[in-house]
Amino acid sequence: MLEPINVSLESLNLITLAPMLIAIAGGLIILVLDLINNKLDKSLYVMLTILMLVVDFGAVLGLNVNERGFFDVMLIDGISIISQLMIIVGSIIFIPLALTSKRFHEYSYPEFFALFLFMIAGFQFMVASDNLILIFVGLETASLSLYTLIALHNRSNSYEAAVKYFTMGALSAGFFAMGSAVVYALTGSVELYKVAEVLATRIDEPGLMIAIFGSSVLLLVTFSFKLSLFPFHTWAPDVYEGASAPLAGYMSVVPKVAAFVVAIRIFGMYIDLGVEWVRIMILLLAVLTMTLANLMALVQEDVKRMLAYSSISHAGFIMAALALDTTEGTVSIFLYYGLFMFTNLGAFAMLWISRHKNRRFNARYDHPYEKFAGFIHIMPIGAMIMGLFMLSLAGVPPFSIFWGKIYVMQAAVNSGYIWLAIVMGLNSAIAAYYYLKLIVYMFLKDPVKDVDTIYYNLSKPLMAVIGLATVATVGAIFYVQPLISYLYYMISASGY
Amino acid sequence: MDNILSVLIFFPAIAGLLGFVVDKESARAYGITVAAIEFFLSLWLWFSFDATNAGMQYVEMIPLIPDFGVSYYLGVDGISLFIIVMAALMTLIGMMSMSITKNVKNMIITLLFLEMTMMGVFVALDAIIFYLFWELSLVPMLYIIGAWGGPLRVYASIKFFLYTFAGSLIMLVGMLFMAYVYHNLTGVWSFAITDWYALVLPVEYQLWLFAAFFFGFAIKVPMFPFHTWLPYAHGQAPTIGSVILAAVLLKMGTYGFVRFSLPMFPDASVMMITPIAILAIIMIIYTAMVAYAQKDIKQVIAYSSVSHMGIIMLGIFAMNAEGISGSVFQMLSHGIVSGALFMLVGVIYDRRHTKLMSEFGGLATVMPKYAVIFGIMLMASVGLPLTIGFVGEFLVLLGFYQISPIMTILAGTSIIIGAIYMLAVYKKTFFGPITNEANKTLKDLDRKETWSLIPLVLIVVWLGVYPKPILEPIDNSVKAMLVFMEEKAITQEAKDVIIVAKSTEGGI
Repeated sequence: MLEPINVSLESLNLITLAPMLIAIAGGLIILVLDLINNKLDKSLYVMLTILMLVVDFGAVLGLNVNERGFFDVMLIDGISIISQLMIIVGSIIFIPLALTSKRFHEYSYPEFFALFLFMIAGFQFMVASDNLILIFVGLETASLSLYTLIALHNRSNSYEAAVKYFTMGALSAGFFAMGSAVVYALTGSVELYKVAEVLATRIDEPGLMIAIFGSSVLLLVTFSFKLSLFPFHTWAPDVYEGASAPLAGYMSVVPKVAAFVVAIRIFGMYIDLGVEWVRIMILLLAVLTMTLANLMALVQEDVKRMLAYSSISHAGFIMAALALDTTEGTVSIFLYYGLFMFTNLGAFAMLWISRHKNRRFNARYDHPYEKFAGFIHIMPIGAMIMGLFMLSLAGVPPFSIFWGKIYVMQAAVNSGYIWLAIVMGLNSAIAAYYYLKLIVYMFLKDPVKDVDTIYYNLSKPLMAVIGLATVATVGAIFYVQPLISYLYYMISASGY
Repeated sequence: MDNILSVLIFFPAIAGLLGFVVDKESARAYGITVAAIEFFLSLWLWFSFDATNAGMQYVEMIPLIPDFGVSYYLGVDGISLFIIVMAALMTLIGMMSMSITKNVKNMIITLLFLEMTMMGVFVALDAIIFYLFWELSLVPMLYIIGAWGGPLRVYASIKFFLYTFAGSLIMLVGMLFMAYVYHNLTGVWSFAITDWYALVLPVEYQLWLFAAFFFGFAIKVPMFPFHTWLPYAHGQAPTIGSVILAAVLLKMGTYGFVRFSLPMFPDASVMMITPIAILAIIMIIYTAMVAYAQKDIKQVIAYSSVSHMGIIMLGIFAMNAEGISGSVFQMLSHGIVSGALFMLVGVIYDRRHTKLMSEFGGLATVMPKYAVIFGIMLMASVGLPLTIGFVGEFLVLLGFYQISPIMTILAGTSIIIGAIYMLAVYKKTFFGPITNEANKTLKDLDRKETWSLIPLVLIVVWLGVYPKPILEPIDNSVKAMLVFMEEKAITQEAKDVIIVAKSTEGGI
């Protein structure tokens, strides 16, 4: 006869679930509010979302490092806390961008905000677990919400983007399931720490290498899709173009942070086991991604597509740090995204405020370069701010991304990958060209049309967000030190 | 004022920010006043500078990112002191003589930010802070060339930016590797140049690091074969842009060699003497010949700039007190003379909107003052004794003679070829009858132009006759550096080449 299973409430350590539950509860509250009174304005929902995220932020901060909970599937270690904090901060910056002066209809639906909060809960589950099944559930929750958010933008190319992203996402979900299945078949477990234990004992068995190889390839393909690495990046520019500008900026940061955390857990395990070609493949993917995405960004005619390719290139840059598998390498991933978040969201927000319902400059694109020609004469401060963001993205010191860049390069040099640091340096030089192209259009050309403004969409909350991003970009030199020491402490505490 | 270096950096930056508020009509006066105050601050630095102390003075150190070894670390010695004064002077004079009327306010603000970055490069003692100002200096220059330049300005400005940016990123990798080596040996992160000086590196490391830094500096100098961006930049830039570019920005490259490459990698530097000397001689002779073939006066001066930068490079790699002191002095003299020549070309361009020599001829009869000043500057550029150009060139050749007499003779031909192309310019432009009707009514130098050029003429003659007050502090610091390099060198060949004992006192 089976023994009855006793589970005590303390052993569940439910506090580890609190952050996600807060986000989900927030989503439900918004839906219920809509049920009671369906004439509420979007500003209410935006503020409610921010408030729920603030509570969420507090709950994450209150967690203890290195705890497990809920039948040991939740893992609260250093990287799960810092990545959750970054996800929440990124979301808090993103959501006020809904308060534009022009009306975009997706924000009038409370569902938008509910889905947004569900998506955040999904990302939080992804980063706060080392159970492949829970990671999968988190990933799919977040992705399905994100597809819908894109489609809500309600233009034909938004539908195209959503369907494209959905198809690619479904494919990568399939790869993830197959990869996990192979891992399970090899080790009899889906918990990564147990998988690592079993694999460590079995790694020398003849004939097993092919299966380990297979599992890592399948998982690598999944995360290459999610992180938009070459050659699995083809969806990214179209999806960014179809999504609204802030959502595109958001997609280039927050989902990638979540995916990077899972990638660190999975591929860090493979590299620690001594499966050296995982490292080689990651390096190869990283170098190809940053180089080819840079080359493709050179020939884009639309600023948003250029920024999409540039985000791909930045992701490749960071992917290289993943292959190093050192504490510094992992710190550099978070440092880079922490700094990139402000600048990139700022740059996409600048596109957002220049968005017009009609394509006034080009039949094909929303944000062609011509639109920004002579920007300095029309809107000097806007041009200066956009110029700052571009210089920061190009890695010109002392702006934020420069510090992330040298930290990544230093990590590469420290691990003996000097060639990698040189490739990164040369890529930064290539990238400088397309960022400069926009600066040249803004500062050195004359306006192509007689327009008085291209800020059709400006409002006070947007100005506040852009101001915050500008301050964070310019003043990076003053907060890099505390940021590095916090990240280093958290990451080394969890043993990465 | 112990923190005068910070004041020198941030005064123009704050002035630039406040400049946004100043009214368009008054922007010019504002800029000149600010630049004058900055110049007086730099003079203050000079007069309170202890010329007998060869080490770093006015040192400031504030840790910025201690976990990563980055600190706000400034200092000045005899090598950088006069470049700072020269940069402040040329910014002031450039602004005074500026003839731009379009978007003057933007130009003034850009120049003030550029001045900040120039000050920063020459006083930074932390590699990352140095790199920061080094890269930041590209942005204002990009804007100056791109917004006020000639027809090909966008191409020229982007070429300028990308060339330098690519080179300096390789230098950045070198810096990061240097910090890594330092961390390995000491267990501490540091980007302080003075900490790096203390490292004795194996020769193989030195060679690789030397190569990495070489790319950054050589593109900036610009050394043959990386010089192709310069004629475009000069050709398209407005007068003020060319003045600052030639006078100060190019000096960043040669200054980098003196500040970084030599003391940090003495053995590699000695091993590299011959290859670099060959490149320098190619630079000197080839670009001088190219200069002779130009039709445009400004291009002649641009190529002559490259040629003179070759002399500076040669002096740096002479590895003795005469050569290096002469190089540093030549940096100052080239800054003043080429700056003045670009201003003079600007004067005639403002009147005729052409710089082609074939358009002119006989200008001496209608513009006597202009012809005299042009003549003096041209002689200084060629290196006529008793002008500023002679001192540096002579010391450099004297210094390099101890390395290789043959190469010195080859380099010495620069004086002859230089005289040929410069005098050819002078003959075609100023002598003979006035052939072009348009030139008959040209006005001579006006008050503004005269008063911005006269101080430069005075300096050219003063330092040509009596260079001691400048040479002495330079020489002190250079000798201290050479003593240090000799101690640090690990190969005997390097110790033999680095000659310390001789002095330049009484050299003139």
